[in-house]
Amino acid sequence: MSIRKSLNPEELVEKLLSGDRRAAARLITLIEDQSVQANGMMKKIFPHTGRSTIIGLTGSGGSGKSTLIDHLIGRFRTMGKKVGVVAVDPSSPFSGGALLGDRIRFQSHATDDGVFIRSMASRGYLGGLARGTTDVVRVMEAMGNDVILIETLGAGQDEIDIIHLAQTCLLILTPGMGDDIQAMKAGIMEIADVIVLNKADLDKANLCQSSLETIIHYGMDKKKGWIPRVVPTIAFASKSTDIRGMEELVQAIMDHQAYLHETRKIDDVRNKRIEQELGLVFKDEVEKVVFAGIKGTGKKREYIESIRAGKTDPYSVVKEVLSTFLRV
Amino acid sequence: MSKEKIKVVISKVGLDGHDRGAKVVASLLREAGMEVVYLGMYQTPESIIKAAIDEDVDVIGVSYLSGEHLVFTPLIVEEMKKKGLDDVLFVAGGSFPPEDIPAMKAMGIDEVFRGGSLTEGFVSYIQKHVGQKGAE
Amino acid sequence: MSTDKATAVQEKETQEHNWDEYLQSYYEKPASTRTWSGYEVKEIYTPEDRASEDYKATVGDAGDYPFTRGIHRNMFRGRYWTRREVVGIGSPADTHERAAYCFKNGGMGLNTIADVTYEMGLDADHPWAKNEVGLTGVNLSHIKDMETLVGDIPLDKVSWSLITASTAAAPTMAQYVAVARNKGYDIGCLRGSIQNDPIHFRYCGFRPACPLDLSVKLGSDVMEFCTREMPKWYYTTVNMYDLREQGITAPQEIAYGFGIAMCYMDELIRRGLPIDAFAPRFTFYVSCHIDFFEEIAKIRAARRMWAKLMKEKYGARDPRSLHFRFAVHTAGCSLIPQQPLNNLVRIAYEALAAVLGGVQSLHCCSYDEPMCLPTEKGHLQALRTQQILAYETGVTNVSDPLGGSYYVESLTDTLEQEALRYMKEVEGVGGMEEAIRTEWLDRRFEEEAIKRQKEVDNQDKLVVGVNLFTTEEEKTTPLGVQRIPEHSARDQIEGVRKLKMSRDKRKLNEAIKKLRDAAAEGRNTIPAMIEATQAMATTGELLGTVREVFGYSYDPLNIIESPFH
Repeated sequence: MSIRKSLNPEELVEKLLSGDRRAAARLITLIEDQSVQANGMMKKIFPHTGRSTIIGLTGSGGSGKSTLIDHLIGRFRTMGKKVGVVAVDPSSPFSGGALLGDRIRFQSHATDDGVFIRSMASRGYLGGLARGTTDVVRVMEAMGNDVILIETLGAGQDEIDIIHLAQTCLLILTPGMGDDIQAMKAGIMEIADVIVLNKADLDKANLCQSSLETIIHYGMDKKKGWIPRVVPTIAFASKSTDIRGMEELVQAIMDHQAYLHETRKIDDVRNKRIEQELGLVFKDEVEKVVFAGIKGTGKKREYIESIRAGKTDPYSVVKEVLSTFLRV
Repeated sequence: MSKEKIKVVISKVGLDGHDRGAKVVASLLREAGMEVVYLGMYQTPESIIKAAIDEDVDVIGVSYLSGEHLVFTPLIVEEMKKKGLDDVLFVAGGSFPPEDIPAMKAMGIDEVFRGGSLTEGFVSYIQKHVGQKGAE
Repeated sequence: MSTDKATAVQEKETQEHNWDEYLQSYYEKPASTRTWSGYEVKEIYTPEDRASEDYKATVGDAGDYPFTRGIHRNMFRGRYWTRREVVGIGSPADTHERAAYCFKNGGMGLNTIADVTYEMGLDADHPWAKNEVGLTGVNLSHIKDMETLVGDIPLDKVSWSLITASTAAAPTMAQYVAVARNKGYDIGCLRGSIQNDPIHFRYCGFRPACPLDLSVKLGSDVMEFCTREMPKWYYTTVNMYDLREQGITAPQEIAYGFGIAMCYMDELIRRGLPIDAFAPRFTFYVSCHIDFFEEIAKIRAARRMWAKLMKEKYGARDPRSLHFRFAVHTAGCSLIPQQPLNNLVRIAYEALAAVLGGVQSLHCCSYDEPMCLPTEKGHLQALRTQQILAYETGVTNVSDPLGGSYYVESLTDTLEQEALRYMKEVEGVGGMEEAIRTEWLDRRFEEEAIKRQKEVDNQDKLVVGVNLFTTEEEKTTPLGVQRIPEHSARDQIEGVRKLKMSRDKRKLNEAIKKLRDAAAEGRNTIPAMIEATQAMATTGELLGTVREVFGYSYDPLNIIESPFH
């Protein structure tokens, strides 16, 4: 029986919670499309979430995020863990379409039922993730995945939504790409719990590693607790024997997770995630209500032209709209 | 029931390594506003269908260029049936004689596009038929 | 009465409407004045276009440096090009039968091609091979397969071209030599060639079988072995044709093909072979696409460039080292499945270009190339295309008949300049191996492929039957469809199983150990492969053993394990 025909939200949630992948995949689509039914379903699955390990990977294109994820999936699977993966790719600003090509790099897990991989297009959302990623991660938790890996767009230093969502954040850099300078500018401490120096066989890798460690060292006084660890890796090699650093990377992740749990910082992390979600849902709902009110009335156009003509300004417009619709 | 975006999985199957067409089609579908999951080479019917499920795609597109079309088409259709993907379109492109097209359709493929197809042809086919298959 | 008048008026109107259209198309101008690769060309070329060029230094007679006009003075008057149709179908016995058929009908040399399973280094009984054995070529899993393929053909008289491109070319060479030796031939008398270009083959799929270092290693092992032991054999046919099939332009074909050739040459030199010891046997596989003059100019430019490269960069002295020796495969990607008989015409034009370009050996596609393997009739038609060209048209009377054409000389210069520019670009990203490793070259192929599709979609390139003069799609293939006999794959898989069970395991293990040692000690692996082949080692076993020494999985697809531990 086709799952699209049985779109009864109750049934979908039930199926999902009992492990039906198609139901989960369907719900994710509804979330991506911002379907009205999604909220109702999210309410039902929420109680079944919040217990997974969430790891984020960010870094510029070509740094090797996907290949690292491929290895990490393997490692977590041998530990007996179920793994969910969200891989985000940019949508074309011109056509709105997207080429979701991260999955190709983890196809070695192509028929492992303990791995659930979903590619998401950003659909114009800035911040490094897709709009629905926070909800999608909840769905993956509800499915029973112990570990969830999130691969962001990471094209530049602006894509940092991940730091609120992930518990352990990996920043992937490669030597000689000037990333270390960029990272310095962005403040590595702010972003990364583990800095993966991938393609560590390249020129200047040692130099890069020491300069990163120096930056961290000097920043150390400002931040107590976890010191970001630099892990050199070689994720891609034509020979499997040339792959390096995977054990150390998993160890670093586990150590950070242990740190979070032992110091109860995990609660802060979870709080931050919830705060971000709350903010998103709140903004969404308010926007829906407000724009539902003036949708189709041509008022939005009027306001915009008014502002352009210098007759009013955005703050006054918003105040007017809010006072009309929310009685503020 | 409509979706925001049409989602397509494009894959090669078996040992065939001619991927020029598959890559070009993936790019052009993206330019037509679709979200394309590109699986690359050496896939099996199982791995393709698993991706199709997890990614909740509307279309499965396979590229055949080494004579394997009559071998793999029934295997893919069977796997689709087994996993309940009866509302997902199954299309193929590549190199096969016209005599085999009725056979492929009888096996369960929805449409085929041989070499020399213009982009507009397969894009409009997909846009027109997505969501129609198995619709009551 | 009134209806007759109405009809008459209607008819008159229809006729007037037609006349307008007719006049329009009568005076139609070509939409484009560019070559296929995109170069603007003038209305007419005159002596002014090559006014200051010194003929002797920059063009030269055929047979004289820089060989723009041909590698031999008398070209086809001295000897026709070899008519060699590629054959590969089903089992070794099926392929032998078709190869013999072509030979009987006027094909001058034999030309057999590996299927996808063989190129991937899989024996017929590999779990992934069973679905695809024999579909687009032949799989030779062991010495008996090669024996069947070769049959009674006199190997010292007939020139045999073995088309295995990947690292599996090393087992192919070993298998061929093993069979020849068993039959009592002096391998120094064997005539023919082996494609053996694993570096390029990653662009045709087969990346698991052709990691870069192993490609250089095994490719060079074959080249070195043949240079020392088989003076009449061409040990490589660097395949620019497959690169062109990715959608790149004519000068890119030259540039990237030369880049790959240099990877092998540098390795052979590193192994201590003097350039003149091996260069005379270096050959290329070139495409001939549909832009007639551009392809001819491309070949002439390639010839001149190769001569200069060998002389100036590699210091070659033997004139034969400076020869750009090549076979042509007419462009498969120029053919289309719609209105398939049109392909006969395209192939004929492309073959003409190849001959006017001065080719040494020619394969004409069968008209049904975009749809299936060639039928006997299709193969015959391709052969006849060559024969009509050779015997009826008179093109063989003169070397480089287009030499001196103001247009062709000018276009040759342009293509040389452009190819050099592309070669410089490759140098700029760190050289060919780096361009391959970083997937820079993949990006170029992808870009060009999309451009080609858009050109057709937008009618910037016109293709009859696709965006011009289209008709309803045909339901049948004019000369029938080639099917592989069902039992062929089954028999072959059975054959491999039986062989594995019945062979002398002790002898085999000894031979495999020798091969492993040769690989581990950095020696040439071909002698050990030959011995192991004679001890009934299979293709997968030969390759797998060497792969393991180099740190790769025994099986390129990582499904089966080595049976030798």
